[in-house]
Amino acid sequence: MLSFVARRVGAAAGTLVLSSVIVFLAVQALPGDVATQILGKDATPDAVAALRGKLGLDQPAWERYAHWMRGALHGDFGASLVSSRPVGGEVATYLGNSALIALVTVLFAVTGSIVLGIVAGLNRDRWPDHLISTVSLVGMSVPEFVVATVLVLCFSVALPWFPAVVLYGPEASAGRLLPAVWLPALALAVVMAAYIVRMARTSVIDVMASEYVTTARLKGLSTWRVVTRHALPSALLPTLHVIALNVAWLAGGVAVVENVFNYPGIGKLMLSSVQNRDLPVIQAIALISAVIYVVCNLAADVGAMALNPKLRTGGRTR
Amino acid sequence: MPDTHHLGRRSVLAAGVASLGASWLLTGCAGAASTPVVPASAQKGAPARGGTLRIARPPASDAETLDPASSLSAYEYLGALYNRLVRIGADGTLAADLAESWEPDDKAATWTFRLRKGVTFHDGRAFTAADAAYTLRHILDKATASPQAAVLAPLIDPAALRTPDPHTLVVPLNTPNAEFPSLLTHYNCYVIPHGSAKSIGRTGIGTGPFKLESFAPAGPGRITAYRDHWAGPPVLDAIAFYSVADMSARSNALLAGQVDLLSQTNLDFATARVVAASDRATVARVKNAQWYVLPMLTTEKPFTDVRVRQAMKLAYDPEHVVKVALQGAGSAGWDNPVPPSDPVYISAHPAHDPDKARYLLKQAGQEGLAVDLYTSAYDPLFTPMALAYRDSARRAGIRVRVKTASADSYYTQVWMKKPLMATYWFTGRPVDQLFTQIFRSGSSYNETAWSDKDFDALLDRARRETDDTRRHGLYGEAQTMVIDRGGAMTPMFADRLVGISRQVRGYDEHGFEFDYLGIGLKGA
Repeated sequence: MLSFVARRVGAAAGTLVLSSVIVFLAVQALPGDVATQILGKDATPDAVAALRGKLGLDQPAWERYAHWMRGALHGDFGASLVSSRPVGGEVATYLGNSALIALVTVLFAVTGSIVLGIVAGLNRDRWPDHLISTVSLVGMSVPEFVVATVLVLCFSVALPWFPAVVLYGPEASAGRLLPAVWLPALALAVVMAAYIVRMARTSVIDVMASEYVTTARLKGLSTWRVVTRHALPSALLPTLHVIALNVAWLAGGVAVVENVFNYPGIGKLMLSSVQNRDLPVIQAIALISAVIYVVCNLAADVGAMALNPKLRTGGRTR
Repeated sequence: MPDTHHLGRRSVLAAGVASLGASWLLTGCAGAASTPVVPASAQKGAPARGGTLRIARPPASDAETLDPASSLSAYEYLGALYNRLVRIGADGTLAADLAESWEPDDKAATWTFRLRKGVTFHDGRAFTAADAAYTLRHILDKATASPQAAVLAPLIDPAALRTPDPHTLVVPLNTPNAEFPSLLTHYNCYVIPHGSAKSIGRTGIGTGPFKLESFAPAGPGRITAYRDHWAGPPVLDAIAFYSVADMSARSNALLAGQVDLLSQTNLDFATARVVAASDRATVARVKNAQWYVLPMLTTEKPFTDVRVRQAMKLAYDPEHVVKVALQGAGSAGWDNPVPPSDPVYISAHPAHDPDKARYLLKQAGQEGLAVDLYTSAYDPLFTPMALAYRDSARRAGIRVRVKTASADSYYTQVWMKKPLMATYWFTGRPVDQLFTQIFRSGSSYNETAWSDKDFDALLDRARRETDDTRRHGLYGEAQTMVIDRGGAMTPMFADRLVGISRQVRGYDEHGFEFDYLGIGLKGA
């Protein structure tokens, strides 16, 4: 058990180091010389040379990488090239706003889709199953910004229940942002839910066909009890992994949705920093996204193991 | 800023998300009508006094400032907070702002500006000639890095500025220039208080009709009516500005009634139809707000040959491009970059003549010419324009391959690098600045790298000519020269389609002029 966890953590750390290298190299490979890009039309040779020196672009790449990693490990991601503010604090502010959306999204998506998945699984091949499967498939296939736009048209333009966009800056309090959280969260939840619904449905079908459920039924337990006490915990297990992966996907999915809603989150920061060639911000966001991804996967693996006796004992029974 | 290409950069995502989002979904509802059903202007009628106007704007940068001279100034605030010495009136001629009158000496080598009396800044200080002189020095200061410094620095020696009395500013020029006051109409030239260089970016203290209440770079801000404004208080009580980077988000905010006006936003046709069909908002037009260019690099083959350039121009029909790419919302350029509204505009131009184009190409040994024309999603009109040009020029035997480049690096990798591409400018710059910045030899914005000694000499003569009629004649000749020999094809002037609430009254915008005094809201 311990060695399993240790192996997983080791692999996660390796993945992180690798991704930090890739992030660094990818940012270096952005089209056009960075200094020229930042200066735009005012790029005289003197100005370019001065800026290259200021950015440390005249040093070899591995030295810059080492310097950047040293800072990053201490939580120092440097200063933004545009606003000159420390990147760490700036990213944290936006990340906090995004976390608000992510939290609501996960709550919506997980509760909603598990219920739907169970209903579909219990009604296998009957109309509720067909309806839920079709709708969730459509949700999975339509890009999130289309879902977002449809939601805006329905619930902001036609029925003025929610704001269409956020008009506040990143420093707005959670209370002020809250009315604007529901539509983006719903849009993301719709896309995310499809996976979880299908996973939960399959699990429920498998579990309901298993021998111990048959035994439970033979004991005379009600369907409700069979589902909640016996089927649900087993059905949750594979679903957990999908949820963890989806939380990781959220880190990227918010980018487009946040821009549709002008929501001051990490996705919007990412886009504006790419457009401004604000390299320290881009690197920091990419690295943090990688960390979220890896940590979510690790949590899913370890969580699955903790819930699954077969994995927990590491096959010693054989 | 509005006259460089940052505006477009902000709408890069808009091109993707907006056209796929709102417009894509809604074209279905609006019907695929081929002619735009877009009204010609905003709601008529007088506004009621008071109220708060809400404007959504694309932020210039996360490092935005209220310093008018900066390249990162928050454009929408400037006209509301400040005044210039002179501005451009509705008829395209100069109009008085903080200067009541201005006259040159007989050689146009020294200009004297008589300044308005009884004008106060928002902090109560009186406006004097010292502030006007300081503003010019601030623009010329290298530390400010003002884009307009490139235009003014060759003309003005900051140490030579004189203020003989508190209401007179004397500007001796290094070389005579009869068009000099027009160069001060630029939006970098708003007047700031003496000694405010360090603080103006945050305080926004000017003489304009509104004073600053709050401002956050790339965030929300609010300005309120300045009751002691010299021209009387504005109609509105306040204006709230909101930064919304994504274009589809901006139009959604308008459709949902969260904002009243979309600034610096040219709606694409599909979105414009949706906005016009909504019962909250409508579409106003800023006539000929942008001019579109297909610059040929005159230093690159085959465009080094003037006959090839002439053939490229004669080969296509601008009316066809306006019809196809603009759906009629604009006017044909006929390769003349001077907007039809400018007092010196000449309407004469060679007619569309594919046979002559064919003949010229034969002369130049370029029969069956094939060229690459670069475009991108940077602006929604680039590709339609390029395709319309391609189809039109085919009749002259010119084969155009339209190539799409990345919007993100378009202005660093393609503009002024590829021999033929699609681009645009915002209209509103005075004719002398237009020719000097974009067509004169060696200028940093000379996107065709055209270098013609005769043309440069003609510009110099025009600048020295103090007789208005004769000078206008010279600028007319300059237009003819650009049309006949230059490298820029100017197929069209496009109207800007502005999303605006049906509650807004008195909206008036042309070039870089916005009427903040008169704009207001419909009474309850």
